Amino acid sequence: MGLVKGPPPAAEAVPLAARDIDALLIDLVAPDSGVRRHAARDLGAHPDAAMALCDRLQAETSSSVRAVLLTSLIRRQSPAVAARLTTFLRSDDTPLRNAAIEALQEMPDAVAPYLQALLVDPDSDIRIFAVNIVATLRHRRAPEWLTVVIRSDAHVNVCAAAVDGLSEVGGPDALADLHALRHRFADNDFMEFAIDTAIRRIGQD
Amino acid sequence: MSRVEPFARNPNDGSKRVLVVDDGTTMRLFYRSVLEAAGFVVEEAANGVEGYEKALAQPFDLMIIDINMPKMDGYSMLRAIRADAAVRATPAVTISTEAGDKDVIKAFEAGANFYMVKPVATRELTEIACLITGARPQ
Repeated sequence: MGLVKGPPPAAEAVPLAARDIDALLIDLVAPDSGVRRHAARDLGAHPDAAMALCDRLQAETSSSVRAVLLTSLIRRQSPAVAARLTTFLRSDDTPLRNAAIEALQEMPDAVAPYLQALLVDPDSDIRIFAVNIVATLRHRRAPEWLTVVIRSDAHVNVCAAAVDGLSEVGGPDALADLHALRHRFADNDFMEFAIDTAIRRIGQD
Repeated sequence: MSRVEPFARNPNDGSKRVLVVDDGTTMRLFYRSVLEAAGFVVEEAANGVEGYEKALAQPFDLMIIDINMPKMDGYSMLRAIRADAAVRATPAVTISTEAGDKDVIKAFEAGANFYMVKPVATRELTEIACLITGARPQ
C-alpha cells in the first residue's frame, strides 16, 4: 500500500510571516467583512502595513473589523502611526474619532511627542480629546500635563475633562491647582462637584 | 433645543427611573447626585454597549446619553434603541461638549428628544428630567 498524503494545511495554519503582504492588502479591502478581519489581524505582523491599516480604519464600517484594526495598529505603534491617528481626531465620524482615541491611549511613547500640541490646539474639542487620551495614558508625565491644562486652559469643558483625569491619575502635587481652579469657575455646579470629587479621591490614595 | 413629546408614564408609577450613560466617572456621579436629590432612581452605564444592554434589560423613564464614548458612541446607541420595538419609545436626552448645529441635528436624527451642552447646571438637568418624565421636583 502506498503512502497516503494527508489533507493540505488549512489557510489558518499557514504561519503569519508566510502570508504575502500584497495578498493581505487585497484582502483588507475585500467586500466580505470576515476576509477583511483576518487580513487586518495578520497585517499586524507586518511592519510595512501600518499606514494601510490606518487607511482601512478610516474607511471601515464594520465594528468587528475596526476592533481588529485597532489591535493591529496598537501592535504596530510608532510615532508615524500615532501622527496619522491624531488626524482622525478632527473627523466628523464619531466611531472613527473614538477608535483613534482608544488606540492612542494604548501607545504612550508613540503619542507623547504630539500631545503638547494637541493640548493647546485652537479647537476646544481637540483639546478635550487630547485630555481624554492623557487621562488614561500610562505615561509618567500624564499628571503634569493635566495640571498644566487646569492651570492655563480657559475652556470649562477642557478643564472639567482634565479634573476628571486628575481624579484618576493625579497626586498631591495637583491639589493646589485644583483648589485654584475653583475660583476660576466659581459659578459652575459641575466644576465644583468635579473638583471636590478629585480632591477627595486624591486624598484617599 | 427640544423635540419633546408626551410619553406614557411608567406603569409602576413611583420614582422615575433614569439611565445615565457617560464614560466619565465624575460626570456619572454628578448626574446621579443631582437626579437622586430630585427623587429619581438612577442606573449608570459607562459606554454605549453597556447602556444599550441595560436599556433592553429593564424599563426606564428617561435616558441621558453622552455622545463621545468608547466602544459605542451615543449616536450609535440611540439608533440601536430606536430600532428596537420594545424600547424605542424611551425618551432620551443627549449631552455633549459639542454645541454646533450639525451636532444637534445629528443627535435628533439618531433619535434624541432633547440636546444639552456640557457643562449642565443642576437646575437645568432637574427641570428637563422632570419635564420629560412628568415627575414632580422634590
